[in-house]
Amino acid sequence: MRRLVFIPVCFVALLVPVVVLAGGGQGGFDGVVRTIETRYHVRATRIPFVGLISFVSRKATHGGVSNLHVAEFEYFSPAMDGDELTQLVETKLGSGWERVIRETSRNGANQTLIFMHPEGARMGLFVFDADGHDLNVVEVSVDPDHLNETVNRYDHHGHDWDVDESN
Amino acid sequence: MKDRRLHLAVGLVLVAAATLVSAAQAQNAPAQNSPLPLPPAVEKELAARASNVTEVTLGKNMLGFAAKFMNDKDEDEVATRKLIEGLDGIYVREYEFDKDGQYSMEDLQKLRQYFETSEWSPIVRSRERRTGETTDVLVKMVNGETRGMFVLSAEPRELTIVLILGPVRMEDLGKLKGLGGLGALGDVERDVHSKDKDKDKTTDKEKEKDKTKGGTE
Repeated sequence: MRRLVFIPVCFVALLVPVVVLAGGGQGGFDGVVRTIETRYHVRATRIPFVGLISFVSRKATHGGVSNLHVAEFEYFSPAMDGDELTQLVETKLGSGWERVIRETSRNGANQTLIFMHPEGARMGLFVFDADGHDLNVVEVSVDPDHLNETVNRYDHHGHDWDVDESN
Repeated sequence: MKDRRLHLAVGLVLVAAATLVSAAQAQNAPAQNSPLPLPPAVEKELAARASNVTEVTLGKNMLGFAAKFMNDKDEDEVATRKLIEGLDGIYVREYEFDKDGQYSMEDLQKLRQYFETSEWSPIVRSRERRTGETTDVLVKMVNGETRGMFVLSAEPRELTIVLILGPVRMEDLGKLKGLGGLGALGDVERDVHSKDKDKDKTTDKEKEKDKTKGGTE
């Protein structure tokens, strides 16, 4: 009889952490997007072929930009409390991500959060930007050395163009 | 006896479950609260009254990584890179207000008081009665070296706080103005230089006075 009581108690006790980990515990980009959807009752617009775009950008920049994630919320109308939002995003991103820029307006219409996360030689960037009725969430991993090379290449082109213009 | 064992076993299982739950929650704990070494109450009060708040927080790790984005072939950027790599942190807070009088002189005094220690000394203090603008620049001196800088710039509808921790040279300040939110540093550098020039002018005048005095005596 006692065994019959003991087994269900153990089962329930072990089920609780499993549910917690599987449900609200999901972190990172997906965790943030899902939490925004739940908290503000909105749905993110799925951008087709983001995986392919991420792959192409990785190849095009020689590894300078990779791991691209984008979520777009159109016609976003709920007012956001800046402090609550920051807390929410920080909690979902978890430790390791440092907030470097935060811009918030009292009326809640404009919110910008930029987080950085060192990943060895690379840097993870997480950008949350709400402007009026548009809300965008982007995560990307960048390699400063490769990215610098690419930027410099275009920078030189830009200078050449400036010289041509002045002539 | 069997009852006690059963209770013990159930208790252990529950404790294990609670530990797992709290570990899962700890993993998702917020990354940071307020890294700016300022009284949090003042920050909160100002933020609550402001219509727009901008915060830039760059710790040592982030600065080290940001430095990697500097171009090695450009002399200016190499110098900026060296400067950034040596710093311990850059913190900027910008508060914009809808109308005048959203912050008081007491609020400013609270911020200044926080830095009124023996290590921090004021180098620029300007007050414009007509526009109501005030600027305070304090530097942290450790063994004769500048180890930090605090800039408090207040306009009737805007309040900017810049805190730089680490070795800072006045002549390098202008190099940081390209970083987000640090545009005011170019003005600080100019203020400091103009202050030095004024000092030079006054000392020159004093020297001339001494000469003329010496000549007449």
